[in-house]
Amino acid sequence: MPVDLKADCIADSAGGLTFDLNVPQGTGTTWSAALVLRLRAGTDDTGTAAGGTDDTAADNEVRLPLGPNGPGRLRAVLPSTVALAEGRWHAFADLGDGADPRRLLPGVNDLRALVDRRPLAAIGRLGVRIPYATKLGNLALRSWLRGPHAEAGDILVGPEGITVTGRLYGASPAAGAHAEARARRAGRDPVAVPLTVEGPTFRFTLPYGELAAHWRHGSEPWDLWLCPAEDLPPVRIARLLDDVPEKEQVFSYPARPVPAPAGELRIGPYYTLDNDLAVRVTGPVGRE
Amino acid sequence: MHISFLLHHAYGIGETVRATFSLADALAAQHDVEIVSVLRHRDAPALDLAPRVALRHLVDLREHAPAGDRMDPAHARPAKVFPAAEPCFGQYSELTDRRIAAHLRRTEADVVIGTRPGLTVHIARQTRRGPLRVGQEPHCLAAHGRGLRLALRGAYPRLDALVTATEADAHAHLRRLRLPGVRVAAVPRAVPAPRLAPADGTGRWVVAAGRLTRAKRYDVLVRAFAAVAAERPDWRLRIYGGGPEKPALRALIDELDLYNHVFLMGPAGPLESEWAKGAVAVDPADREPAGTDLAEALRCGLPAVATDSPYGPGELVEDGVTGRLVPAGHPAALAAALLELIGDTAGRTRMGAAALAASARFDPAAVAGRHAALFGELLDRRRGSGLRGSLHRVRGTLIGGAYATKDAARAAVRGVRTV
Repeated sequence: MPVDLKADCIADSAGGLTFDLNVPQGTGTTWSAALVLRLRAGTDDTGTAAGGTDDTAADNEVRLPLGPNGPGRLRAVLPSTVALAEGRWHAFADLGDGADPRRLLPGVNDLRALVDRRPLAAIGRLGVRIPYATKLGNLALRSWLRGPHAEAGDILVGPEGITVTGRLYGASPAAGAHAEARARRAGRDPVAVPLTVEGPTFRFTLPYGELAAHWRHGSEPWDLWLCPAEDLPPVRIARLLDDVPEKEQVFSYPARPVPAPAGELRIGPYYTLDNDLAVRVTGPVGRE
Repeated sequence: MHISFLLHHAYGIGETVRATFSLADALAAQHDVEIVSVLRHRDAPALDLAPRVALRHLVDLREHAPAGDRMDPAHARPAKVFPAAEPCFGQYSELTDRRIAAHLRRTEADVVIGTRPGLTVHIARQTRRGPLRVGQEPHCLAAHGRGLRLALRGAYPRLDALVTATEADAHAHLRRLRLPGVRVAAVPRAVPAPRLAPADGTGRWVVAAGRLTRAKRYDVLVRAFAAVAAERPDWRLRIYGGGPEKPALRALIDELDLYNHVFLMGPAGPLESEWAKGAVAVDPADREPAGTDLAEALRCGLPAVATDSPYGPGELVEDGVTGRLVPAGHPAALAAALLELIGDTAGRTRMGAAALAASARFDPAAVAGRHAALFGELLDRRRGSGLRGSLHRVRGTLIGGAYATKDAARAAVRGVRTV
């Protein structure tokens, strides 16, 4: 059995990643050696190494040249300027030896540059890539590509409503700017709330009342959007600018009991699997 | 020397596995080293083990394993040698008793080392004549229940040496167990140098890491952080690790409205990656058996705030030099020490640099050197007097036997089961 190939990932604050591979000393590489990133289809850990080298032009595969970097080390670089579509990318090494690319395992990551990352607000399009280990322990990247982007910061679950503070990238709030909660279930009107703006920083409070009034049964999710101006398309509010690939478990918020005609509801913010901000309204029966 | 470690499960993760792997690798630079894993649940070790260390198992419990160990009826019957009061007792059986005994009867090693109390009991009782019998304590004596202490009292006098992680624990063993002729030595756990650059201290994160258990007192830390966040809302706290206290801590964070400041990060892969993101490390534990996590933080160049209780992590930190020591279970004192470091950037930088320098003593090469010197000295002494070793064992057996009789009598009165 060939030895496992591990890659150490080093992040820079601009969004670039360097992959350092540990390989057995004497491992030869050819001009065509590459670190291969493949956009996951379906769930994690079902990706196969099949595909070969003939579909490199496809958007769902990125090949980064893999070159020697000292004895037993190979290096590949994913610059911030290379755009990766939003999604989960699995990492493989193609040593250029004619064999199928091999799945990479995570090594020691240095992601300190991602913690509290704060790019310039004027940035046109924001690229975020966070390395992580899949359930089976393979190396993968979580990627987002957004412009404009509304980054969620502190969230307060207060007595009147949920107050969200954040920062807008790639757009300036203008007349008509507001935040909006949109029900994921059909047949409910969006709830719009006014926005307080200070430079790129925004803040709004989503009161519980209207969400509670719309509740019919079970657990009802609402997605939060920011509309920077009357004539601009709305922007999804998300939390992307740090080193945590999956926010829901880490950035966890209490749910507030809210009285309603049908009984006591619970309303609280949470992050979706894509780290977008949402609010869940749960009825007396729908709770776990 | 041929050195053989007896480990509960070398294929899992945890402080003991990590420390044993590091120490075994460093010893293997000059010695012949093997790790014998009593159990095997996985194909490959979850943590990296240097190829120069031999690894084998005694009982194969892998799902797809061909051997019938899982189905062996002896594995369904409770262990008799492995002490019933040991926390891992449920995973041991007549089968493990038998396999461990066979291994210890045949071993060619010069030194056999038990890495948890139950295994050290096996080593004390069953190792063939010849090899040094060594116990290595992953937990402190104070953490053991009364039943386990009684079991250890019966077996440990037959050891040649007992290695604890701290001086306080070495003293506790000497005070509470009768161990004449047993060399009791405190040697810190091996912690390798981090594989990335040390923390630069520019962030505003306080970092803690460990199992979320009661003894770790993360509740005290969360309460302390309420005071920190009130004064310095720009600083935040990350607690890495999983464990039974997670729901209680989650509820406490919500109750104190700290959900924008205190984060339960879940279990982390290599912790060094996480320490490197921090500016201050903190360990609020009442009892910290070995403190390898905190030692790793020091090796990453973080100043540390730690509790100064008899079995706490205090020995790892020099107050005012590499961090601050605070009384255990005291949120206000912990908050004050954290705020002091948060408010003093120059002091933090100085202490971080001092932590980096002082923690070199945890380097596996240094720790392996101390172990090798201890084993070498004991082997030399034994060679000098062939009689001494067997005399010691006879005396150990007598003491152990006397305890066993006394304890059995006491247990009979109380209705407690002993080994």
